[in-house]
Amino acid sequence: MENNVLAMVLVGGRGTRLNPITKRMAKPAVSFGGKYRLIDFVLSNLTNSFIRTVGIITQYEPHSLMHYIEHGASWDLDVTDGGIQFLTPYTSFEGERWQKGTAHAIRQHMHFVNQHNPDYVLILSGDHVYKMDYTPLIEAHKASNAEITIATFNPHDSLSRYGVLSIDANNRITDFEEKPDNPRGNLASMGIYVFNRKVLETILAQEIPEGLDFGKDIIPMALKQNHLIKAYLFEGYFRDVGTVESLFEANMDLINHPEYLKLNDYKYLPLYTRSSDYPPHHVMLDEPIIDSLISDGCLIQGRVEHSILSNNVAIREDSSIKNCLLYSGVIVNENCTLENVIVLEDTVIPPNTQIAFDEVTVIDNDILWALGDENNE
Amino acid sequence: MNKLFAMIDASNRGNFEKLTLHRMPGALPYAGRYRLIDFALSNIKNAGITNVAIFPFGNYRSLQDHIGSGKRWNLDRRKDGLFILPPKNMMMPSEDMLTFQRMHEHIEYFKRSTQAHCLIMPADLVWNINFNDVLKAHIESGADITEVMHENTRLQTFIIDKEQLLDYITNYDIIPYKTIHELILKKKQINRNIYNHRLYTKRIKDPYTYHLSNLDMLKFEIGNTIFSRKRPILTKEKTAPPARYTKTSQVSNSMISSGSLIQGKVDSSIIGRDVIIKEGAEVNRSIIMSNSVIEQGAILNNAIIDKGVVVKRDTVLEGSATQPFVTQKEQILTDQSALKVLFVGTEAYPYVKTGGLADVIGGLSRALSKKGLEVSVIIPLYEQVKKTYHETYENIGSKTFEFGGEERKVTVYKHIRKKIRFYFIENFKYFERENVYGYDDDCMRFAFFNLAVKEVLDMIGPFDLLHLHDWHTGLLPKILKTRMAKPPKTLLTIHNIDYQGHCDYTVAEALNIPLGEDGELNFLEEGINEATKLSTVSPTYRNELRYEYYGKNLTNALMKRERDFHGVLNGMPKEFSPQNDKVILSQYDFTQIFTKTENKLFLQEKMHLSLGLQKFIIGMVTRITEQKGFSLILEIMDEILTDNKDIQFVLLGTGEEKIISSLEKLARNHPGQVKLNFGYDATQPNYIYAGSDLFLMPSRVEPCGLGQMIALKYGTIPLVRKTGGLADSVTDYDPFTKEGNGFSFYHYDAMHLKERLLEAYDIFKNQKEDWKNIMIQAMKSDFSLDTQAQKMLEIYLTII
Repeated sequence: MENNVLAMVLVGGRGTRLNPITKRMAKPAVSFGGKYRLIDFVLSNLTNSFIRTVGIITQYEPHSLMHYIEHGASWDLDVTDGGIQFLTPYTSFEGERWQKGTAHAIRQHMHFVNQHNPDYVLILSGDHVYKMDYTPLIEAHKASNAEITIATFNPHDSLSRYGVLSIDANNRITDFEEKPDNPRGNLASMGIYVFNRKVLETILAQEIPEGLDFGKDIIPMALKQNHLIKAYLFEGYFRDVGTVESLFEANMDLINHPEYLKLNDYKYLPLYTRSSDYPPHHVMLDEPIIDSLISDGCLIQGRVEHSILSNNVAIREDSSIKNCLLYSGVIVNENCTLENVIVLEDTVIPPNTQIAFDEVTVIDNDILWALGDENNE
Repeated sequence: MNKLFAMIDASNRGNFEKLTLHRMPGALPYAGRYRLIDFALSNIKNAGITNVAIFPFGNYRSLQDHIGSGKRWNLDRRKDGLFILPPKNMMMPSEDMLTFQRMHEHIEYFKRSTQAHCLIMPADLVWNINFNDVLKAHIESGADITEVMHENTRLQTFIIDKEQLLDYITNYDIIPYKTIHELILKKKQINRNIYNHRLYTKRIKDPYTYHLSNLDMLKFEIGNTIFSRKRPILTKEKTAPPARYTKTSQVSNSMISSGSLIQGKVDSSIIGRDVIIKEGAEVNRSIIMSNSVIEQGAILNNAIIDKGVVVKRDTVLEGSATQPFVTQKEQILTDQSALKVLFVGTEAYPYVKTGGLADVIGGLSRALSKKGLEVSVIIPLYEQVKKTYHETYENIGSKTFEFGGEERKVTVYKHIRKKIRFYFIENFKYFERENVYGYDDDCMRFAFFNLAVKEVLDMIGPFDLLHLHDWHTGLLPKILKTRMAKPPKTLLTIHNIDYQGHCDYTVAEALNIPLGEDGELNFLEEGINEATKLSTVSPTYRNELRYEYYGKNLTNALMKRERDFHGVLNGMPKEFSPQNDKVILSQYDFTQIFTKTENKLFLQEKMHLSLGLQKFIIGMVTRITEQKGFSLILEIMDEILTDNKDIQFVLLGTGEEKIISSLEKLARNHPGQVKLNFGYDATQPNYIYAGSDLFLMPSRVEPCGLGQMIALKYGTIPLVRKTGGLADSVTDYDPFTKEGNGFSFYHYDAMHLKERLLEAYDIFKNQKEDWKNIMIQAMKSDFSLDTQAQKMLEIYLTII
């Protein structure tokens, strides 16, 4: 690409509000839509935008993610000039470089940024659900002569969950508030930033206390220092799946509103993922399966309604699944009923188990044991 | 594990017809998301083998596209890795098994490979096998070669030591074995070990086995062995979301691939990627490849739907378990129930017949009509037809038009026979003669016929499709295209490339058609260039015509139309049956083959041969021409008859004087052993079919051939050269598996014929049970008109 853009993807978030889903993995590694993981969105967006020099900044539970991404071949990011580089905390001559906050994390790896000598640095998060071509964003940034551009959207839910921006007639950002109770502006930040590299270097070169975030700290600081910051409005589907409810809801959007993410569109912004080695799923009996998404390797003998099954799930006879997310390797044994649950990887539901919640609840083997103990007491 | 290197023999074409027009068998989609070659590659990967050579034939683009660098199977190595080794000689059709000669073309590969043992396997097997176990057994057995078998089936899979293999390859031109298969069959002193693979294995060689084996994956215990978690089958990475079900989905016992949308009903089927089954559609026992759409109300039973096909609303596709309905890639299928087809030809049974063409037109039109099509046939009105039928047909009108600068008038007559409309075009000048062919102005006569058909179309039509037969109708596509605003679609069937209709400028002038570059007007060539689609009379002949040896001056013209060119084996009319044959002495079927011996004695008696059931009667019913392989027969027969006094040879036919005199000489030298009947008596050859033991047909070229099919039905074992329709109807007997309905040899070489003939005689003489077994398999062979009609219908549907 003629624009010399380097992407820095922040995947270190613990996603504490997604517990226990994120108990053993970083949030970007969380399963989505049966066959995907959250990180697939940003990696596919990058390859679809022809940005193929990517630093991935990891810290919390990095192994499952590193194993999953490998050299990035599944996203065509395994190119010889550039490609994917994992940036982990390291010990330098000056001491340990543990990352504290997103801005701090980028600062720790400024050396990597400068090595590639980009004109622009695109800062992204690895845990959002959206299909986006970054090219118009970069073009808008260049055309406006801004020093920083923030991608924004109109949220479908409350503005108070996001960083809220106010802009003037020229799209220049005049005000930024992080998760305000009474927002003054009407645009939400997507947590996607384009920086002129020199500007990023200047800002991060200042004395910055530890634990600083881009949204909370760096942007208000840059505003105060009178940097030219512009907003770019993204009009597509965007979800920040920070909670169990929002994650579940975004998953179910695939069933209720397939037109939102258009996963069957392989021409415009296709969503890539690591391929599984499973055969197509097998519906073995004549039981109803309706309003559902079913992935490869599943063996289905029971009923499935309004649910998403990841790879390699087994539903045995006389069992019935409704409004559930079943992650890969889940086995639902005979004569079970599950309703409104997210079942984590490799959970085995014993025969004759009835689990129904009013609100979506996450379960795994440990929780099942605990539930069993409670019932026995 | 570095002891093995592997060769994938992808040189077998199989008999997939439309399914392999665009791809090699190895690249055929399988079980929704795989390709056939994934099984070979995954078994190789799971054994830790990293040096692999693939030997493809012809067009391997789709295979190359699928395999890429081989990374998915760990074959993107710095040392060794994946090699695709195409044939260097593209002038002749290659054999359907990898020869030492083919290997010799890439001898460097073998020399460079450092592994001690070579694993050879085909690309068309569905299985999951641990090759390390095979190697272990091979080493423990101390054998020269290990052959992998499943139950009683050969799998063309071997392990052989590299140095030994290299020896065979280096000496390929002096050893008497062309392939490893032959080596095992013929080299007596070879120490062969058999490894029996017990788990599910299927060789995919035609639409029937393809359909059957795909559906086998729905049996849990089979699917579970093939898609084992321990030894996974890997395939190219593709991106597709999970399959989506809606409120109206109804799915039972089916495999559904990613990206599909199921709104309709699916039972016992395999659905590929990104397939859409709309609400109200029904899919039963069918295989649907990726990106196809089945619209509302469509019903599919036992169908194989290739990639990117659209089955339109309310279309019914009905195949059977043994004869699945097969589509072509990216075809659009509409409701075909009232398809109107006009056969255009020069003869039709029962009105006028000089040869096989009349039978094909008569039989096929009837079989298609039984399938619900509205079939019409149009032929010239000859004197003989007029004499017999002038009271039965009705005059439906006349037309006058200009031809060669003069006004010509034709009258059309119609006769409905068994629901088929037969039309006859009357013109005194051109058609009202004693014979059908053989006049100096044949070119002009049939050029006129072509134009006349176009001129009377509005009287007898409209038709969805015109099915044209042989060179006599070759100008029609061009005439239709140049003289009609909306010309109807055409299918031209080539019955024999040797008859092309070479005509001069007078014909071109009469029709106002430009001459070809060579200054002549070639009817068949015009037809090949202009017809919507082309077909010929057997799949093998179709493949052979791509080579100059067979395709001659029309090879290039046919190559250009390769993707529009189909091969469909002619069916055989039901009349040929030893059970209902009143001409032969004793009627029989395969449950009472001993009755055939009465016919044998009768034949010996009738022909004044010495009597005896121990005698081995070789029969021939044929035109006596070079094409039928007489040079081979004359080269060896004298010696064979001298050495084997119990072999007898009877021949019925007419033809070339030179060959006949040589045959007469042979008869004089072996009185009592050879009897010839040169008065070709087409209606009465049945006593030869019924009385002989072996039916000889070593043709150099044979587009389809009828004799071998009749012989099979009569339990007379054919010995044929593997060419054209002979290759498609006769399966060479394998003494180990005891499978096969006859004998065949590939190279047009008298020594090969002699060898196979004496092998057949040996089985007849010394292994009577085996011979009986071949007879039963022969008599059970099926070449029905119904099969031909279904395949023809499938082609029609690719046209309209």
